[in-house]
Amino acid sequence: MRKILHLDLDAFFCAVEELQRPELHGKPFAVGGRPDSRGVVSSCSYAARVFGVRSAMPMSRALRLCPDLTVITGNYAAYSQASHQVMDILRRYTALLEQISIDEAFMDLSDLPRDGRALAQEIQAAIQRECKLPCSLGVAANKLVAKIANDFGKSSHRGSGTYPNAITVVLPGQEASFLEKLPAQSLWGVGPKTGARLAEFGILTIGQLAQAPAGLLQREFGRYGEELALRARGIDDSPVVTEHDVKSVSQEVTFDRDVRDADRLHHKLRELSEQVGYRLRQDNLTASTVRIKIRWDDFTTLTRQETLSQTTDQDGVIYGTVLRLFDQLWLPEQRLVRLVGVGVSGLTAHVHQLMLWDTPAEKERRLLDAVDTLRARYGKKILRRGLEKPKNK
Amino acid sequence: MKASVSQQHLAHGLSMVSRAVSPRSTLPVLANVLVATDGEDRLRLSATNLELGITCWIPAHNAEQGSITVPARTFVDLIGALPAEPVQMTLNARTQTLNVRCGGSNTDIKGIDANEFPPMPVPDLSDGIELKVADFREMIQQVAFAASAEEARPVLQGVMVTVNGNEISLAATDGFRISVRKSAVDHAPSRPIAVIIPARALSELARIAADGEQTLVMAVPNGRGQVIFHTKDSELVSQLIEGNFPDYKVIIPRSFKTHTILTTAAFLKSCKQAEIIARESNNVVRLSIKPQEGQPGQVEISAQSEQTGSAEVQVDATIDGPQMAIAFNVRFLREVLDVIKTPSVALECNASNTPALIKSVGDEDFLHVIMPMHLG
Repeated sequence: MRKILHLDLDAFFCAVEELQRPELHGKPFAVGGRPDSRGVVSSCSYAARVFGVRSAMPMSRALRLCPDLTVITGNYAAYSQASHQVMDILRRYTALLEQISIDEAFMDLSDLPRDGRALAQEIQAAIQRECKLPCSLGVAANKLVAKIANDFGKSSHRGSGTYPNAITVVLPGQEASFLEKLPAQSLWGVGPKTGARLAEFGILTIGQLAQAPAGLLQREFGRYGEELALRARGIDDSPVVTEHDVKSVSQEVTFDRDVRDADRLHHKLRELSEQVGYRLRQDNLTASTVRIKIRWDDFTTLTRQETLSQTTDQDGVIYGTVLRLFDQLWLPEQRLVRLVGVGVSGLTAHVHQLMLWDTPAEKERRLLDAVDTLRARYGKKILRRGLEKPKNK
Repeated sequence: MKASVSQQHLAHGLSMVSRAVSPRSTLPVLANVLVATDGEDRLRLSATNLELGITCWIPAHNAEQGSITVPARTFVDLIGALPAEPVQMTLNARTQTLNVRCGGSNTDIKGIDANEFPPMPVPDLSDGIELKVADFREMIQQVAFAASAEEARPVLQGVMVTVNGNEISLAATDGFRISVRKSAVDHAPSRPIAVIIPARALSELARIAADGEQTLVMAVPNGRGQVIFHTKDSELVSQLIEGNFPDYKVIIPRSFKTHTILTTAAFLKSCKQAEIIARESNNVVRLSIKPQEGQPGQVEISAQSEQTGSAEVQVDATIDGPQMAIAFNVRFLREVLDVIKTPSVALECNASNTPALIKSVGDEDFLHVIMPMHLG
């Protein structure tokens, strides 16, 4: 039986701001973009949440809800430093640490003899003592339930106006009964779209999803249906993946409306290839295998991959390979496409063999270096390929 | 046709020509070997894939002239399984079947009419260049491995062969490294030669032209797009590669900052040791070239792999110039060190991102340029 902890720093950016400006304590404030430049809320204090302010909300709307809201543009260097400090504390407990974002992580503590709640309390206390930061933890036998438990524990504090500092434990064997009453959309991978489709069949809670006939889920969602049924029963065997195990980089997109137009798909595949290439270059990695994923409108999913003769971090090489793989899969007018994805694997630290003379590949590399530098300085949208130029309004 | 040959001669001849057989061609006869009498005491064996053709002649007693083509795989396997005794071959012209008898074995092989076999050119060797087999084979071994294996740029799959006056030079490059070897020829050809010969054809030539004491003749007949190599008992014909070979001479650096001299064998051994780890991580090895005041310097070769581990190997060296850190594909280092014949080798470099030169110490005729790897 595994012992998995999910940690989430409470209103993380705000908590860091409060450390530097104690006068903010207990006040409604938000970190994010300025309201006059269409900024959105990145993080908001619990006092602000009482007014209905939420993250990802336009800042202008947040100010309408809470006119006394203090808007802070944010000091990301300080957040990153605080995050490192917290992750270092977690690493004292286990090397099996999967950091999901700046303020969220999974830990596999199965090897430690003490029970999950005691460990969670100790970790919470250590972070409070050493970093002066509040956090909430979920404890369960797998990642899925640990994360849902933590979300549930935090949301139980809603409206209190203070940091939740919650610890929620779901004991082994009680996963299904814990999940039963929760809305289906609390499950991983159930977004608004899937949620709406489930609601059509009267499935609103995770419990109802767990009871749903297997045939129905399979018919409606294909192979993904089986996975949904497992998750609804709290079954998840995905491992905690440490940073060093990053084995692939991928990007995918589900279309708002299913697509049949090959040109549009090419265009999207190029965009995804560029995102994957950018990620590789940012992380100083090169990949040896390129993969394409297509999901048809009936949810059947195909993947194809090709291994390159030389590792790459180049958008053009990734896209060229993706296009070749796409052409092998694509039969015009055959079916509607629901999702496309581009991925790479076989990652190694970036090294490349220099060429004796200038080749198109070398020129492309220098171009991308220049583009990446500009994007890092001025934002991702500063430069685009000519063919992506937005149409005149 | 009625011929008698020794099983060893026949097996040896077939091993020479069978590399040119094209087993999956749309033209069935290309999967066959041509067996033909040539006068009273020679038997000719030929195979071709239309790009490369190989012929060899073996001693025979021919009672009756004739020719046939037989499936290479069947024939080679059969001859290989026969005892070391005389082999009697008789053609039934009506059924196009070759009867092969040896010891107690009696086999009939169905063939294809010899007239369907592509005609091999009869070379005009009068304007050919005479080369010593042993020398030319060494030249090929020192150069051909640097040619590209990728089909994207056909010229890079070839070896640039130039003969100017009394000098012949071979050069090959895959864009990452260049190997160049020069030599002298006794008789200058009437006109200069500059052709790109597929590296594979030259490697086959090095393999079949076994007897180093012999000479071979290289001929490039005008306007045929072919090169022909002729020895006493074999012949290889290859299509030339058309196109412009990169102007490699301008790429070879002329001056260097750090000059390092190492024992060839020690350097090669160290590379092989480091390669065991490096092959798991893009073949990268880092060379740290460390001169030391008043005593011999050291070159440290290191490799690291996330999964396998790490390795460090030290080699003594005579170093002149500032210290240098540079990374290479270890396979490229190993392949060039494998063909260096002199006891000492020089490694010359300028910076971690500019071409490095490797040459035999005391042999000005060979040089090799390798582009380093860039570490992010």
